[in-house]
Amino acid sequence: MPNDNPFQDPLRFERQAPECAVVIFGANGDLTKRKLIPALYRLAYDRRLAAGFAVIGTSRTPMSDDQFREKMREAVEKFSEDTKLDEEVWGAFARGLFYIAGDVKDPAMYKALGEKLAQVEKERHTGGNVLFYLSTQPSQYATISAGIGAAGIGKGSGWRRLVVEKPFGHDMASARELSDQLHQVFDESEVYRIDHYLGKETVQNILAFRFGNGIFEPLWNRRYVDHVQITGAESIGVEGRGAYYQEVGALDDMIQNHLLQVMATVAMEPSASFRATSVRDERSKLLRSIRPWKPEEILQNTVPGQYGPARIGGEDVPAFRQEPGVDPATQRDTYAALTLFCDNWRWAGVPFYIRTGKRLAKRVTEIAIQFKSAPLHLFNQDGGEGGLNLLILRIQPEEGISLKFLSKRPGSGMTLRPVSMDFNYGTSFGERSPSAYETLLLDAIIGDPTLYTRQDMVEASWAVVEPIQNVWRSVKFDFPNYASGSWGPAAADEMLARRGHEWRRP
Amino acid sequence: MSTTVAPDKILKELAGLWVEEGKQGPSGVLRACTMTLVVIAEENDDAAALGETVAALMPEHPARTILVRLRAGHERALSERVYQQCWKPFGQRQQICCEQIELTASDAALGDLPSVLLPLIVADLPVILWCRSARLTEMPEFLEVAGLATKLVLDSASFGSATAAIRRIASSQQRGSGTADLAWTRLSRWREMLARVFENRVYLSRLHEVSTIQVTWGDGFESAGWYLAAWAQNALADAGVNAKSSVVHGSGTICIELSGGSFRAGLRREDDRLVVTVDELSNCTHLPQPTDYLLMREELGIQRRDPIFERTLSTAARLAVSSASE
Repeated sequence: MPNDNPFQDPLRFERQAPECAVVIFGANGDLTKRKLIPALYRLAYDRRLAAGFAVIGTSRTPMSDDQFREKMREAVEKFSEDTKLDEEVWGAFARGLFYIAGDVKDPAMYKALGEKLAQVEKERHTGGNVLFYLSTQPSQYATISAGIGAAGIGKGSGWRRLVVEKPFGHDMASARELSDQLHQVFDESEVYRIDHYLGKETVQNILAFRFGNGIFEPLWNRRYVDHVQITGAESIGVEGRGAYYQEVGALDDMIQNHLLQVMATVAMEPSASFRATSVRDERSKLLRSIRPWKPEEILQNTVPGQYGPARIGGEDVPAFRQEPGVDPATQRDTYAALTLFCDNWRWAGVPFYIRTGKRLAKRVTEIAIQFKSAPLHLFNQDGGEGGLNLLILRIQPEEGISLKFLSKRPGSGMTLRPVSMDFNYGTSFGERSPSAYETLLLDAIIGDPTLYTRQDMVEASWAVVEPIQNVWRSVKFDFPNYASGSWGPAAADEMLARRGHEWRRP
Repeated sequence: MSTTVAPDKILKELAGLWVEEGKQGPSGVLRACTMTLVVIAEENDDAAALGETVAALMPEHPARTILVRLRAGHERALSERVYQQCWKPFGQRQQICCEQIELTASDAALGDLPSVLLPLIVADLPVILWCRSARLTEMPEFLEVAGLATKLVLDSASFGSATAAIRRIASSQQRGSGTADLAWTRLSRWREMLARVFENRVYLSRLHEVSTIQVTWGDGFESAGWYLAAWAQNALADAGVNAKSSVVHGSGTICIELSGGSFRAGLRREDDRLVVTVDELSNCTHLPQPTDYLLMREELGIQRRDPIFERTLSTAARLAVSSASE
């Protein structure tokens, strides 16, 4: 008897989640309200969840099941950007919401959780499958994992999976230590490290663009690509998270995980199949090929920054050091720019410039692939951009792809000017794109880890970032070094200028 | 009514429309096109409803739409109208527009239709032909029109004889053209519900008990009945189970039951609800009849071969033929 369901029709049927219970630790937190519950509700709205589905929320705040349901209803109403609350769908979804109050350090909480899981399995027919989602302080991950193990709920009649949010450690040693602690209860195949950037439709579209089309891949190498710029810019400041940000900084918060994963997606080799193992193997290989800088090379090839005060649009905005909860003398980076090289045959010698920052000129995430100029300039060119061919993969806010090339300006004479050929994801496909959390939660429930980060990928990222972190922490920088609302410190421009390049102004 | 239509003139009018539209506002206009959608409908087909269906499809499947309205009669008549359909996505300033061309053709002018359609097809993109006229499919000119399409969408439920329609669609499939039948598309959610029953490992392990597939169809659902039986038979065969199919006329819409030994799983429609029964347990879900928009939305989303439909079609044609000869 085959194990596969012979009635499935993947061409026409939506991916369906199997029955399960999702246990959210930190259920009274911001992430649960803003992202997790709205995403799960949307999956229910789209009939993607099984009838046997339940959520058990847990946190320290005392609350009844009904109070939890009411809070989550408010969250869905407030944070579901494009989904109105449908009373009938919400009613069915809310009946599967449960809550347990308790401290993650208290063994009694896990005992109560075990009893609740048994009750929910019986009443809601969740099939014994459990997805644990850690939406708590990272310092509690190991405690929770150990608590789950000690209570015997880390194993059961169905599958068990553990989703952890970044940061996965704060350096190589802590990342390994965390991993070892999780592995005492969960196998690596059961650990899902979430990087919501990888769940974005447009990041996934990079793979489709590269490997679904035959025309780009031949150009995707050192022979034709001059350099690559990856920008993850935010226009807002730390928005009340000053104390957290002071501990983490831009390098760890954005580059170690999100932007290095994006770089891996852009630069990886084609995988033999679209199976999770193959894709993640290729990403991991690319991350391991990034050359870590020696300490003496770091200040030439990396630039930290911290925003100062400015007046933007008639409003005075504070410097990072003036934000609530931030040490007035802090040396933490709110901006980071790196030059990286991949030591492999495809990319040898091609600089990858990565930058991220708070309070930059605009909110934009994009990848710009600058192709080499034509070998000979035959024509006059407006703007003096020297035969610019640029492929821009826009991730947010307006997802899409643009190709810039030169075209003859109308009229007599052969004067060329750059023009842009744009593909806009939202307009070419009018259907709604699922949010990153919808995609990733569904993947975790189905058991597809393709878009999740594996331990070897985490370690490869730390191998790149940790030496930079060590040098930056040993130097006293003259912060603040960029004004809010600008495109970052002048030193970052100089870093590119040394190789004859300049940052794009997205 | 004119008797000639010049494709060059239509293309020129379309180009003029883009220039005019571009002058309307500072944000300009974005042209969106992922296919040519040719819709052929009888003159008495509800024009307003059809227009709304096409309009609803455009944001998700932007296309150059060529709507051909058929006029029965011997008088030779062919005419055209060109216009655009535009919308602004929520929160965006830029308008997105699609081109629409409306042609009217009398029976006597049908022979001219392919030569008008061919130059109007957008280069290098798929051509989907949605033929809503069962009458046209029986006319000799249809083959030439259908030959322009990369995918032909028909609805066997609108044909006089379902079994004849299935056989005709199957032979069209064998000729190599990609064909879809909306009678099959209507079954997607049904099939999905049945598939979900067997996501449960306990029920999946009991599949080998099934020995009979019983399908009962009501008026208007005959071809769907054959498809459902054929699909279930193929799926069971893939699981190594040989089951006997029985497809009979009854009341209501359609229902299917797989049974054998002590196992029984079935689906039946009750008004806007679908009732799934496994042994003595039953579950009910809201499932209104899909609209033309939903059916076409699904079909336009599939522009490659659909192996499950192709295999079902071939089995359904065989079942229907053997049933007729009994």
